[in-house]
Amino acid sequence: MTQTSADPAVDLRGVGKRFQRHTDRRNSLKERIVRGRARSSEDFWAVRDVTLQIPKGSVYGLIGHNGSGKSTLLKMIGGIYRPSEGSITAQGRVAALIELGAGFHPDMTGRENIALNGSILGMPRKEISAVTEEIIEFSGLGDFINDPVKHYSSGMYVRLGFSVAVHMKPDVLLVDEVLAVGDEEFQRKCFDHLYALRRSGRTIIVVSHGLGQLEGLCDEIAWLERGVVQEHGTAVETIASYLRRVNAEESARNPMVAAVRGEDDESVRAGDQSVHVTTATITDLDGTPLTHAETDTTFQIRLGITAAEPTLGPNVRVALQHDSGTLVSMLSNHRWGVDFGTIQGDHTVSMAITDNPLLPGRYRVHVDIFDYTGSKLLDSWNDAVEFAVRSPRGEIGQGLIDLPVEITFD
Amino acid sequence: MLSDLYTRRALVWAFANRDFATRYRASVLGWAWSLIQPLATLIVFAAVFTVVFRIQAPPLGNGNGSSYAAFLFTGLVTWNLFSSLLNLSMSQLKSNGELLKKVQFPAWTPILGASIVQLVQILLELAVLIAMFLYLRNVGWTWILAIPILIGALLFSQGLGLMLSIVNARYGDVQYIVAVVLGALYFLTPVLYPMSMIEGKNEILGWIIRLNPMSWYVQAMHDAMYSLVAPSALVIGGLLLGGFLTFWAGFAIFNRWSEDIGEML
Repeated sequence: MTQTSADPAVDLRGVGKRFQRHTDRRNSLKERIVRGRARSSEDFWAVRDVTLQIPKGSVYGLIGHNGSGKSTLLKMIGGIYRPSEGSITAQGRVAALIELGAGFHPDMTGRENIALNGSILGMPRKEISAVTEEIIEFSGLGDFINDPVKHYSSGMYVRLGFSVAVHMKPDVLLVDEVLAVGDEEFQRKCFDHLYALRRSGRTIIVVSHGLGQLEGLCDEIAWLERGVVQEHGTAVETIASYLRRVNAEESARNPMVAAVRGEDDESVRAGDQSVHVTTATITDLDGTPLTHAETDTTFQIRLGITAAEPTLGPNVRVALQHDSGTLVSMLSNHRWGVDFGTIQGDHTVSMAITDNPLLPGRYRVHVDIFDYTGSKLLDSWNDAVEFAVRSPRGEIGQGLIDLPVEITFD
Repeated sequence: MLSDLYTRRALVWAFANRDFATRYRASVLGWAWSLIQPLATLIVFAAVFTVVFRIQAPPLGNGNGSSYAAFLFTGLVTWNLFSSLLNLSMSQLKSNGELLKKVQFPAWTPILGASIVQLVQILLELAVLIAMFLYLRNVGWTWILAIPILIGALLFSQGLGLMLSIVNARYGDVQYIVAVVLGALYFLTPVLYPMSMIEGKNEILGWIIRLNPMSWYVQAMHDAMYSLVAPSALVIGGLLLGGFLTFWAGFAIFNRWSEDIGEML
């Protein structure tokens, strides 16, 4: 337990939810009669043994793969599902933003729908009329508020839905993947409003796949995997562990992603092949192949070359290309003033990229070998190896590289 | 139960408002349809049954002969009340399903909201019935008794509607069974014919009809509105009590079964 709040807004103790497989649900009488009661073997636990204290006035995130149980957990906190075991205590009014504008009637005007939606969310009528103008103002719908919502664009629809839900001033607000609403300006308004809600002591529980978004928004995060809490704690730490797992799993599942390419490759080579590139690998400093390169961490592009005859100081040139087609950099031993001398037989060329400045994304490596004069092509291997750069913090870079920069302020 | 109904009245009312506002919103004639439909049925049935089947209605309470159309409409209004509440209740959980899966609120609120709107339709039909009897000068103090009879019928229908709607949410076959049973029950209720045509002629059929609760409500309405004869206090009391008990049972079953409504839909 990283934090035990004396008076949590939501207290989950040993919460579990058992579902029956959908295909085996006996919702026809015939099946019920023919097969009798449910067979327990068809049950599965969507959420199991979850014990969490969500502190009052905090923003709490839930992360995990699809089907990890985070939405089920949210629905249980919101009272839409009953837990099969354990207990949930929530303080005050809980409002679920499972889907924005759920319950809007297409034939009714925006204004009429505000009244209806407010009632459904459990708001007394007096309170609804008190905040109606504020909701309209916030949604920015203007005169459209008196049109039937079926004429609204999807953006207008969710804007109104969001406005209604956040203005009912819940003590606990549950948000499921609905933060990406409207244009950028409205999104900023939404976030400002969520922060304002938090400042006024209300608790927000968010389910999202947008890790970057959550890192900025949440105080704490719980990571669920197959319905079980893997880790919970500060946002930064939990997201980092989650990403480590995701990256490891991805490479285990798909070994081809491992950035190693051998000679058996079918690509057509140019050049006279007197010097030949046999392997191209992305490795760490010890030469261990990597599945991906991390930002700010030194890695190597390691090439195996072989020369059939003694060859005078060849120039090995590596072109680093971003997936988008942009050439990022051209590395070569001649430009860096490194002479290999006369070579024969098998050698390894390692080019270490210190404190990897590349931003997250996919990159390709093309290798060309020229003779000592630089005029004769000995070998050329397009797409020798491809690798991904990932950030342990889950950032998505803008641009290709981080320039070394010093910022001063007078 | 009563406190539940009371605390959630605003939400029931909000659903009623929604259904009222949207019921005929896209149609030109609007609420006129709620009269055109039963009147069309009345005209067709009255023509077929008096001309083709030559059914003789019992004498009117004022002694001025008989009117099959008035007799038929009395029964139709009562039967429509029953079947419309049943069908409407069963369709509500499905039509509000997306909402019930995403927001937590009592699932019976949209059902009762829809029934309140249907009540408007029922009252409109009653107004036409009263106008018919006024035209026939068939008026009597026994009309007052229609109030407890109709309240009993409303509670009975709504109770059954709640029960069937929640069972239907779990077992989708129920709505089809109900459609079949309602079709048969219609002919086993003295709507198209007076009980006098059965009694003394076919005892078994007579018993089957008497086992059908709706027969009692329809017959009591015939007595009070058409024949201007007061049904016995026992009958009226029984119809009211039956209505209350059915509603109470329906509400209790509904609440018990609807705890997992978010998963069932």
